[in-house]
Amino acid sequence: MTPDASFRDALLAAVPSLRAFAISLSGNVDRADDLVQDTLVRAIANAHRFEPGTNLNAWLFTILRNLFHSEYRKRRREVEDPDGAYAEQLTSQPEQGARLDFEDFRSALATLPSEQREALLLVGASGFSYEETAAICGCAVGTVKSRVNRARSRLSGLLHLDAAEDIGPDRITRAALQAAG
Amino acid sequence: MTRSKGKRLATVMMPQSSTHDETSSEPGLNRQIQSRIGDQLRAMYDDLMQQPVPDRFAELLGRLDQRGPDRKS
Repeated sequence: MTPDASFRDALLAAVPSLRAFAISLSGNVDRADDLVQDTLVRAIANAHRFEPGTNLNAWLFTILRNLFHSEYRKRRREVEDPDGAYAEQLTSQPEQGARLDFEDFRSALATLPSEQREALLLVGASGFSYEETAAICGCAVGTVKSRVNRARSRLSGLLHLDAAEDIGPDRITRAALQAAG
Repeated sequence: MTRSKGKRLATVMMPQSSTHDETSSEPGLNRQIQSRIGDQLRAMYDDLMQQPVPDRFAELLGRLDQRGPDRKS
């Protein structure tokens, strides 16, 4: 079956949210764009498998998430990286071609295990329910809930949200910028 | 013995707000902290959503559509 124009339009409409997820998940704009491109190619090739009336975004996010993990596993095999130094370098690489703000938050997010990061992103930002997220990640709903909770606890520690009630991270950032400049 | 001692020590060192351990299935953070994390997460995400989408995606979809993997007429 040839994907019709409305299917193509729906894919194009999904690109901004796929990109936001891919950038947040991988921490790298170029890699994220490659992931989104591969996702679109797969979606077109497997268009006949998509059941009309079901959630297209959930289907696309599932493809992207699986590509991310299989690519990550492949990279790990290719690059001997017992200490995770390569992975760390990947996430801390300077971004090119796109302006990225929220540095404190993004770098804290990058330190989470990818399973926790994706669960938090899907539930807290992409707007999926716990059930949809469980389907996307291929795990139980309870597992999603505990990953989201652990992600939140860890972020609150890293961003010092649990310590200083009235000194928000924005003020810390500003103070740091002032001290640096 | 040493284990329970370590556990006690950890409990003493933990801040009051996070007596739940990490594996707890119920939310261990108060609502205020949760909503702050949620706000920052969505703010970061909204910013990413606002970014212009590279042309390559529209071009790619246009190309794939023209070729069509197995076009039947």
